[in-house]
Amino acid sequence: MTLLTFRPVRIATGSEDEDGCLVFNEDHLIAVLVRLSDLHGDAEGKWFLEAAFGHLDHTARPSFDSLDEAKSWIGSQIEA
Amino acid sequence: MNSDYFSDAARHPMIRRLRSITDIPRVELDALMDVKMKVVEIDADIDIVREGERPTQCVLLLEGYACRYKLLDFGKRQILAFHITGDLPDLQSYHLEVMDHSLCTLSPAKVAFLSHQTIDYIITTYPKLAAALWRSTLVDASIFRQWIAGVGRRLAHERIAHLICELVVRHRAVGLAQDFRFNFPVTQAELGDATGLSVVHVNRVVRDLRSMGLISLAGGYVAVRDWARLKKTARFDASYLHVRGGEP
Repeated sequence: MTLLTFRPVRIATGSEDEDGCLVFNEDHLIAVLVRLSDLHGDAEGKWFLEAAFGHLDHTARPSFDSLDEAKSWIGSQIEA
Repeated sequence: MNSDYFSDAARHPMIRRLRSITDIPRVELDALMDVKMKVVEIDADIDIVREGERPTQCVLLLEGYACRYKLLDFGKRQILAFHITGDLPDLQSYHLEVMDHSLCTLSPAKVAFLSHQTIDYIITTYPKLAAALWRSTLVDASIFRQWIAGVGRRLAHERIAHLICELVVRHRAVGLAQDFRFNFPVTQAELGDATGLSVVHVNRVVRDLRSMGLISLAGGYVAVRDWARLKKTARFDASYLHVRGGEP
């Protein structure tokens, strides 16, 4: 069973993509999500897996329509 | 001949490509002009030859873009090389029977097929052409080494700037980018697959290169706005391309 929590954060990506979330599994930082700006056209508003650690680091870098979707996916990857 | 591509040696894509990297005597160029090739038009995003196949012919790219790639787990793809007019992207199949990667078009393309028998005739009859084809595969290997260094160690901006610099020199070598503007029908996803970056990172980098005034990118063409600064950003040295006359 995983306990995922999200903490809002500003991220210096060097672009307009600044609104982000740190994703913790209990007290371990496991991922950083960033909300895509209008720089990305149709993908604007999606949550991009900017950085991932441990097991998650071996996957591709998907984007999610919502934080709930991101949470489900990250949870499934950790439990896989 | 079955195409006006071959009406004179100066316009023959394969001759332009081979002469950009080595000298070939007139008599051997004339022989190449007489080689029969089957010319085929292919849509974009079509596999020309796939990993595991045993081809009996090699491809000469006359027009358009192609890439060599490998498919990995989870639907990931690594593009190993981009190919442009005049390239022979699967010449290796003449010696190595089984394809160890795939070759596909990235844009609508026109290709000529040279049978392995034809290649056998060329290289056993014309020693300078044989040496030129060998040299061409060595240059391909040199480009692969640069790409490994890039994907493994270069920063995102350097990787994409370096790739654009490479394509400038390669297009100019076959007479297709004299004004530093060249055809680039490559999507940002494909650029990511070639450089090991996500589409999001490619987007950010391309935007930066544009806003720095180094390149413009529109309508399937890249135009280099500031060659000196683009090279500096990429830490680009064209010597690995082994083009006669060096870099612009």
